[in-house]
Amino acid sequence: MGLKPGTNPDVEAATIQLNIDGKTVTAKDGISLYDVISMTGKIIPAMCYHYTFDPFGSCGMCLVMQEGKKAPVRSCTAKATAGMIIRTEGEDLFLARKKAVEKHLSVHPLDCPVCDADGHCELQDMAFEHGVTNLANAKQKFIPEDTRSPVLDFNMNRCIACAECINVCKDVLMIDALQFMKKGGFNQVVPKGDLALSCEFCGDCLAVCPVGAITNKFSKYLYKPWQMKKTTTTCNYCGDGCQMYLETKDEEVIRVTSPLSWKNKWGDRSETAKGHGGLCVRGRFGFEYLDGKTRLRQPLVREGNRLVEKPWLEAMHLVVDRFSNIKSKYGADAIAGLVTARCTNEELYLFQKLMRIGFGSNHLDSSARYGHLNFVHASKHALGLGRTPNDWEDLTKAKAILLIGSNITETNPLTAVRIKEALRVYKAQVVTLDSAVTNMAKLASHPFVIKPGTEGLVIHGLVKATIELDLVDDEATRKHPQAFAALQAAVAGRSLDDVASQTGLTTDNLRDIATIFAEAPRAIIMCAEGIVRRAGGYDNVLKLIDLAWITGKLGRPGCGVNTVTEEPNEQGAVDMGVAPEFLPGQASFDDPVARERFAKAWGAALPVSHAGSSLVDILKGCKNGSIKALYVLGENPLETLPASMEVRAALDRLELLVVQDPFLTQTARQAHVVFPACTYAEKDGTFTNLEGRVLRVRQAMDPIGESLPDWHIMTSLANALGCQWEYESVNDIQSEMMKLLPGYYNLGQPRKVVSAPDRYLENGYAAEVAVRYRTMPTSHDSARPFSLQMGQLLMHSGKMSTEAPGLIKIAPNTGKLRMSLADMDRLGLQDGMKVRLTSDLGSLQLGVQPDQSVAIGTCFFPEHFNEPPVKDLMSVSVDAMTGVPAFKQTWVSIERA
Amino acid sequence: MSVSAMTKKILHAALFYEIWDAMKVTFKHMFHQPITFQYPREQREIPHAHRGALGLLRYDDGRERCVGCDLCEVACPSHCIKVISAEDTARPLQRYASEFYIDVTKCVFCGYCVEACPVNALAMTKMYEYSTHDKRTLMFDKKRLYNIGERHLNDAKQYLYAHNQEKNVEESREYRYYFPQSVLKTTQTPPKHLS
Repeated sequence: MGLKPGTNPDVEAATIQLNIDGKTVTAKDGISLYDVISMTGKIIPAMCYHYTFDPFGSCGMCLVMQEGKKAPVRSCTAKATAGMIIRTEGEDLFLARKKAVEKHLSVHPLDCPVCDADGHCELQDMAFEHGVTNLANAKQKFIPEDTRSPVLDFNMNRCIACAECINVCKDVLMIDALQFMKKGGFNQVVPKGDLALSCEFCGDCLAVCPVGAITNKFSKYLYKPWQMKKTTTTCNYCGDGCQMYLETKDEEVIRVTSPLSWKNKWGDRSETAKGHGGLCVRGRFGFEYLDGKTRLRQPLVREGNRLVEKPWLEAMHLVVDRFSNIKSKYGADAIAGLVTARCTNEELYLFQKLMRIGFGSNHLDSSARYGHLNFVHASKHALGLGRTPNDWEDLTKAKAILLIGSNITETNPLTAVRIKEALRVYKAQVVTLDSAVTNMAKLASHPFVIKPGTEGLVIHGLVKATIELDLVDDEATRKHPQAFAALQAAVAGRSLDDVASQTGLTTDNLRDIATIFAEAPRAIIMCAEGIVRRAGGYDNVLKLIDLAWITGKLGRPGCGVNTVTEEPNEQGAVDMGVAPEFLPGQASFDDPVARERFAKAWGAALPVSHAGSSLVDILKGCKNGSIKALYVLGENPLETLPASMEVRAALDRLELLVVQDPFLTQTARQAHVVFPACTYAEKDGTFTNLEGRVLRVRQAMDPIGESLPDWHIMTSLANALGCQWEYESVNDIQSEMMKLLPGYYNLGQPRKVVSAPDRYLENGYAAEVAVRYRTMPTSHDSARPFSLQMGQLLMHSGKMSTEAPGLIKIAPNTGKLRMSLADMDRLGLQDGMKVRLTSDLGSLQLGVQPDQSVAIGTCFFPEHFNEPPVKDLMSVSVDAMTGVPAFKQTWVSIERA
Repeated sequence: MSVSAMTKKILHAALFYEIWDAMKVTFKHMFHQPITFQYPREQREIPHAHRGALGLLRYDDGRERCVGCDLCEVACPSHCIKVISAEDTARPLQRYASEFYIDVTKCVFCGYCVEACPVNALAMTKMYEYSTHDKRTLMFDKKRLYNIGERHLNDAKQYLYAHNQEKNVEESREYRYYFPQSVLKTTQTPPKHLS
């Protein structure tokens, strides 16, 4: 039926009137009759309907009587038209619906006691509701179960052919991995081409299946729905901040379910612009680490070469004594701290307070330093806002989306679903610019593959093309003629042809992209790891802001420059002031007013201003001996940073390394004391997602072993160090934060932020802009022809997901370098053959495998795995403005070994 | 007090009437069969519907009836049943209880679990003698429950019959939730993997 007109932001549909059960109802024209009826509050049973996709009409339950027709009609596939007279209740309709249930049951195996859907099954509910107790001519299908996929089992005996799984996969997720196939006399759902299912494994088909036809391998037969405690919480894999239900039985996480389910099939399609409620593979199937065997259960203390289990009291005493010793001996500046952005806001807040007040040191940093701070600093500098201006709804309803340097379906799958909806429902033009053939490129209207490392130059070209084609928004540029003149002068130095030849695009491409972007009324730029995690990230974000400014997109509703975050709370880490340059609320650390406010609130003096070092400087400090003690909370620099950063040597020189982590990471193995911390399932708190929504994290189970929530450990530590902290629960921390940061707890409804570029464009812009466009893409030695890129896989997130056995089963570490088939042919390589990979920093041998998403002239290795240690080949460049280390791309040569 | 009543009272007192009246009951019992029976040596006849210890049953071919559906667990008002189910890898599409516990100290012998069981794997027996010095032995595990079921198979079957569970007739449906019966056509033979 296509789009329901009521949801289109550009066209207002006509209003019609019809009569339902004697009442006159007003509705939008073109909408399904079923939707009109459900809007009046009446629920007609339907098993194949779900509001996220178009009606399919296979179950035959949603029958209504239309005046003038002899037989009942299916309301879902019937379009509501003006003047219809509809009856939805009555004995005849009840019997007709009962007949439909009986028809489904007559080929249903009735193995309810063993079925995982028992108690959570729509067919069961319908049979009960309609009083079906006896069946004539029932027969079994006897279809063997399809257990070929590593994640999902298909038991087609139970299938009622409602096609919800197929529709959600095709229409909502645009993956299209399932199909109907007639086999053995029955219509069955099979993976495409009747092969083993290999898809993104988001599991949304599992969620919408109204019966038990699709089951989850990781929790099969382990539960009955009523046995489990269901906790609504926020996923902690990426910055999307998806809401999910952790279902636990005693001390065990059994499964993860999503708000998307056949249970809530009624809704307004326009609501899906804010998210369709589904999850991705990480959220849905990566839960097994929460109660895994590898979790730390006891504090560990170094004795000689070994880490020995010790009781909490002893370990805590030791840590406090040694921290106090170091502080009195070398001063507070000898202590530094690193924290992961997988912690909750409350813990991040407490961490910086502990570092600044408890220890009196401003050497602290979070994993937002690996990239997100590039965006925050650029955006704050230019626009005065330290987060993304657009939310998911803006993204869905955009007319043009410029996706640059982002493999968004892998890093943030649910944000990618928003772009897919923009493509499919709102007919947006999506431009992808990346040095890989991403999944989004396969769907986008304008996919472009650019040469690696030329993202900045592409933006340069787009700015130039916009000016040359006179797509400039006069209103925006007329206000700041000097700034515009400076920008014109800055980009004048390089011709469009030059840009085109260096980036691998044509001049027409650049002009097309500029036109699409400039002419769209709602245009969004989305930049991610290809910009913010690479060299020149800060400048490139500013260039994107330039592009948005001259096309008049700054401050216009539904437009803006955005980024996505890899870890769930990177935005929160910045907002909580876990960076040497920020206080909570993104106030500058050197701002005397803010300093006084926080000093007063915390009842202690802050460390002196203009002090403090970020991640790279902290590691340098460790190495040169100025930092003697490091408190690492969930971070894992040893496994993240390349060997050239000499993290191991830095950690070895420390007098005290305290690691607090749920797992014994490589960094923890170097530690003097390891505290067992809880995962997000065992604590309360909040995450701030990439839209700026503050989302609740709720405790689903008791801590595993003797592990404790991070805030609890930090509070004990601070009190032992002499602070008077009286936090007894997360609520106490929250109320303190609420006083200091009024309005931060936005209950998932962030205030719209408005960009204010005027001050930036008036002061010092001209000087800056000239420098920004002068930078050349890093030239490389012709002996190193391949660009080696490290990035994220869909199935993994950081190092944490490698602790989840389910995700490792789906995507194990192949230990192979991914190359394009064309390159492999050219080098005479075959899958599994060994190659020697050489960069300026070293060389190693590893196998190769073909990968369709890798572009010619590049090769890829997932950043989650260090076996073989490909990351050590990467060179590191530190951004001078933001201190962000960029180490995800380098130039290598590949030879057959 | 009237004269006749006074006379009666004096007469009763002189003849020890109350004592004779009481002794009448005592002497009457000398000619009765004794009601008390010598419990450990003598055993009472127990009705088939008696709710004694729970046991798990097997099919005649020795297969476990229990499919680990957890329905007994949810039916139990005193929460004394714990079922841990798993996939039976040897037989496709089959689920079974890998562990099964009944805490008899908590059991109130209501028989709801037996009613809830869709495959009649649970039944109550006439066994009631399991007193012990150690309370821990009253946590019946799967092995013990199957032992009880085996030893008291006849009692269990009689119990199920007495409670209209094993019969497939109209009256037995009246108080049970009953799944629609799936009838195999005579012409349709199940394929190998299910037979």
